[in-house]
Amino acid sequence: MTRTITRRKLIHGAGATAATLALAPSIIRAAGAQERTVYVNTWGGSWTAAEEAAYFKPFTAKTGIRVRTVAPVSFAKLKAQVQSGQYEWDVSGLGIVEFSQAMHEGLLEPIDHSIIDRTQYPPQNINQFGVASVVLSTVLVYRKDKFPNGGPQSWADFWDVKKFPGNRCLYDRSFTTLAFALLADGVPADKLYPLDLDRAFKKLNEIKPHIKVWWTQGAQSQQLIQDGEVDMIAMWNARAQELIDRGAPLEIVWNGAENYTSFRFVAKGTPRAKLAWEYLKFASQPQQEAAFCSILPYGPANPKAFDYISPEVAAKMPSRPDRVKVAYQPDAEWLAPRLGQIRERFAQWLAS
Amino acid sequence: MAGVVTAAPATATGPAAVPQGPGAGAVPWLLLMPATAALVLLFVLPIGYVLLLSFTDPQVSLAHYQRIFAVPLYTRILFNTFATSLTVTVICLLLAYPLAYVISRRNDWISLTLLICVAVCFWTGFIVRTYAWLVILGNKGPVAAVWQGLGFGAPPQLLFTSFASTLGMTHILLPYMVLALYSVMKKIDPNLLRAAASLGARPNAAFRAVFLPLSLPGVVNGSILVFTICLGFFVTPILLGTPKDMMISQLVNQQIEELLAWGFASAIAVVLLVATSIVLAIYNRFVGLDRLWG
Repeated sequence: MTRTITRRKLIHGAGATAATLALAPSIIRAAGAQERTVYVNTWGGSWTAAEEAAYFKPFTAKTGIRVRTVAPVSFAKLKAQVQSGQYEWDVSGLGIVEFSQAMHEGLLEPIDHSIIDRTQYPPQNINQFGVASVVLSTVLVYRKDKFPNGGPQSWADFWDVKKFPGNRCLYDRSFTTLAFALLADGVPADKLYPLDLDRAFKKLNEIKPHIKVWWTQGAQSQQLIQDGEVDMIAMWNARAQELIDRGAPLEIVWNGAENYTSFRFVAKGTPRAKLAWEYLKFASQPQQEAAFCSILPYGPANPKAFDYISPEVAAKMPSRPDRVKVAYQPDAEWLAPRLGQIRERFAQWLAS
Repeated sequence: MAGVVTAAPATATGPAAVPQGPGAGAVPWLLLMPATAALVLLFVLPIGYVLLLSFTDPQVSLAHYQRIFAVPLYTRILFNTFATSLTVTVICLLLAYPLAYVISRRNDWISLTLLICVAVCFWTGFIVRTYAWLVILGNKGPVAAVWQGLGFGAPPQLLFTSFASTLGMTHILLPYMVLALYSVMKKIDPNLLRAAASLGARPNAAFRAVFLPLSLPGVVNGSILVFTICLGFFVTPILLGTPKDMMISQLVNQQIEELLAWGFASAIAVVLLVATSIVLAIYNRFVGLDRLWG
């Protein structure tokens, strides 16, 4: 029921927008004050505070559209919203693999081209349903006090338990860990996908007895490396940077990092889609991304944003051009339809 | 919490069962309406929806159930969930029984102090207590320090083992068991033990023949409470245990949050519900569920 109604609305909307292409912002401004609120799904904590400063406040100041936040980001909530037709939020962001899963499941609103101008973005940063926002990297991190003469510099070194003895910790995310195993086995970064699963699991067997713990929560990974519970770990760069800024003796190895791009999108069928695309357009500007990433050490997905970032701040970012060269990106198109099977096999392997 | 919630309808039906004479029959039923409506709306309907999803999402089939029993991982997780819950329940019972006995039989500062300790433990969030174990068992924690101080060399790995996971869950659930036992033991008339003694029973015999049987409703009550809460445990095994200690709710969460596989997640939940119901049915056959609340 709800779905047909929203689809009809959508078609009407598309017709109307074609006629009033240039007038869209003024129409939004003319709408009632009650409708001029957009609901943004966010992670909460320091993430939301950074969004407030970089996106929400300047957006409201420029357009008069208010922003309300709903936390935390939940992939399952997106599906529940679209199925029930009850929308708690309109805009959210997901990593490229979940974003592709959501595309396959038909949970995303197609881009409104009357508002979003495709030519404004690098081609890899935009598709039919969303625009890339920030890049988050999963990197090798080791304790400098444990390896004073230099620690592991690659995933092959991470696998070398004789040369670099110590407790290890990996991320309980199947595709990330499988790709690291292939890199350790000598597969070049640009030949990782499609993943050779048999080869990856074989390589993982070698390291399994040396993995003290598999982490699932970001805070857990921080606690493990900070307390010296483990000596080297695969973790998110911003989480590691936070510890380094607090004085932890850690070194980030960018070689072989997994760069995971987050995409902003609009929940399919939301009645506030117009406002949501206005917000998305504003937040995707290079200046806004630069402001956000200067507060939190994530990397802007849009290279133009580096024009607004000082070199000292850029030194912490995974999407700096020289780092992108030694990193790889997961092939979300290949992964999305296979993730269920890969996850099952990985869980089975972990538990055996 | 679970105990309080399930206990409410049982006490509500108490007065309703008393006959009020002709014509008064409608009143008890009216009084039952809000509770019944809440149960149907918040409990029966959602469970019905989960059941429906398990057969129909994404298409009508029994495939989800076949997969649960065909893939060894899932049957093992199911088995592990029940085995872990049983272990935790037995350990809780062994630890809690003497403690509850002391608290209920004494009436001085010792029993008060012990009761306050149990209550404070009960009110502390389980995430906090789980993280506390991470520190205590960690390689910079007190256990490792004592071990090394005694000259035993490098401490054994305590964290990220099944031992740590079981210890953490036992610690979190122990107060439930103590309080369930305490509430029953407190009601046992001390004169019954004196009567036994006056008839020549030694303390051991009086305990075995009088106190123990009278405390059994508490044992049953506490065990069911701990067992059923433990079946749904989630964060503690993730943080303290190994991937081999995976509990079934972790699996449900993974399917819902990572894979959006609601049909399969629902099927797992239904299997857990049915398995739990079978355990309760066996228990009801041999002990009787009506004894659950003393």
